[in-house]
Amino acid sequence: MGDVVIILPFLLPIAGAAVGMLLRRWHRLRAGWSLVVLALACAVTATVFWQVAQSGQARTFQMGGWPSPFGITIVADALSVTMALMSQVVFVFGFVYALGAKDKAVHYETFHPLFLMLAAGLTGGMLTGDIFNLFVMIELVVISGTVLTAISDDRFGTEAAYKYFLISLIASFTLLFGIGSLYVSYGTLNMADLAQRISANPEQPLLPIALILLSITFMIKSAAVPFHFWQPDFHTASPTPVSAMLSSVVVKLGVYGFMRLTTLLAPSATWIKDLLIVTGIVGVIFGGLGALGTHNVKRMFAYSTLAQVGFIYIGVGWGTSLSLAAAVLFTINHAIIKSAMLMLSGYLASRAPVKTASFSVVRGVGRYAPLSGVLFFLGGMALAGLPPSNGFISKWALFWSGVVAATSGAIQDRWTYWLPLGLVGISSVITLVYVFRALMRIWWEPFEPPSPEEKVKPRGDSLLAPAGLVTLCVLLGLLGQPLTDWTQRVSEWMTQPGKYVQAVLQAEETHRRNFSVQP
Amino acid sequence: MDILRAAAIAALFGIGVYQLLRRNVIRVVIGLNIISNAVNLFLLSTGAYDGVAEAYASAIGQRSDALPQALILTAIVISMGGFAFTLSMLYVISSRYRTADNDEVKGLTH
Repeated sequence: MGDVVIILPFLLPIAGAAVGMLLRRWHRLRAGWSLVVLALACAVTATVFWQVAQSGQARTFQMGGWPSPFGITIVADALSVTMALMSQVVFVFGFVYALGAKDKAVHYETFHPLFLMLAAGLTGGMLTGDIFNLFVMIELVVISGTVLTAISDDRFGTEAAYKYFLISLIASFTLLFGIGSLYVSYGTLNMADLAQRISANPEQPLLPIALILLSITFMIKSAAVPFHFWQPDFHTASPTPVSAMLSSVVVKLGVYGFMRLTTLLAPSATWIKDLLIVTGIVGVIFGGLGALGTHNVKRMFAYSTLAQVGFIYIGVGWGTSLSLAAAVLFTINHAIIKSAMLMLSGYLASRAPVKTASFSVVRGVGRYAPLSGVLFFLGGMALAGLPPSNGFISKWALFWSGVVAATSGAIQDRWTYWLPLGLVGISSVITLVYVFRALMRIWWEPFEPPSPEEKVKPRGDSLLAPAGLVTLCVLLGLLGQPLTDWTQRVSEWMTQPGKYVQAVLQAEETHRRNFSVQP
Repeated sequence: MDILRAAAIAALFGIGVYQLLRRNVIRVVIGLNIISNAVNLFLLSTGAYDGVAEAYASAIGQRSDALPQALILTAIVISMGGFAFTLSMLYVISSRYRTADNDEVKGLTH
């Protein structure tokens, strides 16, 4: 069986959502209950994280007590538990923002249960060790994310949700096709078992097709460039607490999938890494230019997510120990920064005369909200990668891993490091330009409403959550050493997939020893 | 039988993609539904890997791999919920935009 504790990070939110549905008449009670459940799940995840970090051993749980390759395995190894903790922490902040938000959507009866389901699906997708269970968890994320957007205050919420849902259904079908292809080739759905069988017999004819289908799915999930068309719409139209979650941690599910795909399932398929580098570069450039050309703060940050996910793709694509550590670090830091920035844009929209984050409306609104300006400035520095912020550390780690790989690798491969490095440098400058253009427009220029009766609203959403996240950014920038060391250890785990496989299959042996029927 | 099944999957997939690319929103959803059936049929046929009998084996003593059938059940349930939700979204969209044309649903253009 193993540890029951490690299924609690996603079991608690699911149970909490079920109870939350029963409490739909009592808004305050439901909100308080959901916060308690989410905080409890976060605490449990932190406990599991601490134990995994202390012992250096992966922990597994077999659902229903079925032995390892047959039942659904839940695995908490260094990578998955780090990702799960990141998601839970950001979700707690997002929920705190939702409690203080003025949107009508957050007072909707099913908002809190759906928010919990989003957290559950995301954490479950990261902790699961079974590829079909991953599909189920992805569906949970998709459906709850879509419903949360469809109930948005934005009148185009339903349209954005429709676009997203359509492409997500297609992604689900490609994922199912990939799962079927893997199953027919290798006869297992367990990721550890699959990794072992793929490395033993990589010549199966359906394997490349399955990998292509899985790559397409993960690219749609993380909104990588050829499949990104839904993303700016979707992240602009959803309610602020939700879009802060979608654009920061939910896109990381696809990134996590690629981390598993390139290090565990098919480390020998180098073409996936090449694909990641190419799409990463295109994403970095395209996202930066897209963010420059927008007229809406939220949409600007949605495009910026495209660019930042591109950075992570490049790190995963290089695949050296250092660059994987940098990619994990980048993933964590980007989740914190981007959720803070989207919450701040949502705050501005809630202060603006008309509730929208478009530049023509929020221009000059910042003059009445100086605190949010300070937070936006610090967060913008982190996003652009200026010291002293965590964004600087993650960008520097990525650059440094590329430089180390370029100076130590083979001569003919060096351009695969230098070319991305150059483009990434240019893109960082673009980030700086659009973040500070937004800062100038909102906090520097005077507020000139089209008619004199339009005034800045005296109160907006609560600034507690973005303030907490920005503080976390600065703290991680000043005292980032433990996190950086930890990501090094995560990348050590990732470069030794045998450790993951052993942890899951050892659980099977222990299980047989404990539960075998004596004749 | 294998060829027939492969042809059925291919035909369903082709029809589904064709409908998916039409402009009418209802046709798009029907296309998705057909593709989901193609995927389910594909999953059903994966149950016959490695010498085990197919899912429609009828002779006594043969057994088929039951796991893909469980997968199909899960996929059917999930896609049923998904389609119900898509149709309800389409109801809102068609009443709000006064159109059933995919290209006319373009509020978010900037």
